[in-house]
Amino acid sequence: MDTFVLISITGVGLGALYFLVASGLSLIYGLMGVLNFAHGTFLVVGAFVGLWMSTQVFHTNSTFAFIVSMIVGGIGAGIFALIMEQLLITRLYNRHIDQALVTVGVALVVGAVLGGWFTNDLRLLPTPPWFINTVTIGKAFIPVDRFLYILTALALLGIFVGILKFTRIGLIIRAGVENRTMVTALGINVKRAFSAVFFLGGFAAGVGGVLIAAYQGGVTPLMAGSWLIYGFIVVVIGGMGSIGGSAVAALLIGITKQFVNYYIPGLGDFVVVILLVAVLLVRPQGLFGKVSA
Amino acid sequence: MLRWKYSRPLLGLLILITAIGPAIHLGFLAEPGMQQTLAVAFLYGALALTYDLLFGFTGLLSFGHAVFFASGMYLTAIFVNSAHMSLFPAAAIAIFITSLLATAVGAASLRTTGITFAMVTLAFGEAGHIIISRNFGNFTNGENGLALNADRVPSFFLGVANTRYLFWLALSVLAITYFAIWWVTQSSAGKVFQALRDNEVRASVLGLNPFVYKLLAFMIAGTLASIVGCAMLVISGSASPRFASAETTIALLLMVILGGAVTRWGAVIGGILYSLASTRLQDFSKIATQHHIPKVLSGPLSEPAFTLGLIFILIVMFAPGGLSGAYYRLRQSYFAKKSRKAETE
Repeated sequence: MDTFVLISITGVGLGALYFLVASGLSLIYGLMGVLNFAHGTFLVVGAFVGLWMSTQVFHTNSTFAFIVSMIVGGIGAGIFALIMEQLLITRLYNRHIDQALVTVGVALVVGAVLGGWFTNDLRLLPTPPWFINTVTIGKAFIPVDRFLYILTALALLGIFVGILKFTRIGLIIRAGVENRTMVTALGINVKRAFSAVFFLGGFAAGVGGVLIAAYQGGVTPLMAGSWLIYGFIVVVIGGMGSIGGSAVAALLIGITKQFVNYYIPGLGDFVVVILLVAVLLVRPQGLFGKVSA
Repeated sequence: MLRWKYSRPLLGLLILITAIGPAIHLGFLAEPGMQQTLAVAFLYGALALTYDLLFGFTGLLSFGHAVFFASGMYLTAIFVNSAHMSLFPAAAIAIFITSLLATAVGAASLRTTGITFAMVTLAFGEAGHIIISRNFGNFTNGENGLALNADRVPSFFLGVANTRYLFWLALSVLAITYFAIWWVTQSSAGKVFQALRDNEVRASVLGLNPFVYKLLAFMIAGTLASIVGCAMLVISGSASPRFASAETTIALLLMVILGGAVTRWGAVIGGILYSLASTRLQDFSKIATQHHIPKVLSGPLSEPAFTLGLIFILIVMFAPGGLSGAYYRLRQSYFAKKSRKAETE
């Protein structure tokens, strides 16, 4: 039972990190049809900005410093995403394959630039001292930092849902995911919604990047690798363009991975891939995706 | 003034000189180091060509193609090392098994289309990469890679003095792949592949089953990739998990875009140039430190991914069609000018 609680909560914590990576990916794909291979780069940029903030500006590992670094990391990644969108993506309007290819190029170039400047060595990210504490639930010792991941993901989920449901830009985004041509035909400027989605997606990935750096112990230009692939898997299982779907799929994958890894070490990744294939063969549009018209 | 009508014979001559270069000790072609580099480059050219069949000709954006390449490598190495088979029978069985594997993976993933297909193949590719790098069943030796047992390799493939045989092996694999793909794309099935890429609904209304033809393309590309994999195993001497990774497939995509899709020779040139560039661009860092270029620039320049990624972005943005596309545009504008001149005279 204790193990069950421990694995469940760490699984939810892992799922929270997956959600941060996947949510933006899902919105960007749902609205614009862009398969964003640079999303891992957003994550790395966010982590580096967060690292800069917490080591160069704050010089302390207080909780406040960490939270602010996390938010600044998110904003940095969001601005980076916005610049990429304005500079490259908008110029390839409706050329979906080319847009995906350009993001591959951006991922290569930015990865190389960061690798050239900072080397690929792991840089320690200062985390608040209570990160290594545990709390006891029942008889299980749960690492405290997992709760921060979960809370952050919940907060971002709330922000996303709030923006999508209650603001005008959110309305345009939701309508655009469903039928972009029609929204454009009604004379609504979808381009602003594109930029908003890129900024929000970049923000979530950047915040995720800082938390992943805390989770893995440090920042390196190569840290995005498997997280991006897991982001893709979450998006596909949850359904493209569905934030709720991403949240459910992220939880599903985080928990599955933790449980399988506990009982059969090393097999977690493999089972997740099998899960993805199974979902796609039964429901190609994902769990919560709509069949595109 | 360029003489376009001579371009083909010139190209033929260039290929002939390259092929017999190592035998007649011609310049840099006689150096074993260069022969090895070129052999690897030729194989990447061949591999990019198999990816062109999928991506360029059939319009299937697969992110798992590298797995079939790695499967050819690993299965051959396992049969040679563990089952004590000699190289060629082992390679033949490895290629056959890979073709079955490609058919199975293709049959599952081709139930989806478009971006979902890309994701499913990415997932299959990652599954293969995980199986290899985590060393399930103790066959693959995990992250360390699997060295080919040299005792069972024909002696003319071993030793520095015999590098030219590796060179010729790579060149002949490239030639075989080229003619196989040329034959496939010229055949009626190949025409169907292209029809499916351009308009799947229309092709299926004509009574053609898209699934069967796409599966055929997937299977042929996977099988040819495994043949290239066998050759790569002999040339590099060992198999390594990175050959199965999604990064390798993305590199193939870059090669095809760089050279230009659907022209066949474009993908080959793209593959060869990419491979040469990624080995040679590291010398940039030495040049950069000698000329006191600030670290802000020299750091990124020392990473081949920087230059290649930049070129890649520029090609996608400004020169779709890559190198071969640019060649055909130049050629067309030359002929247009010529015919206009003929009219005025």
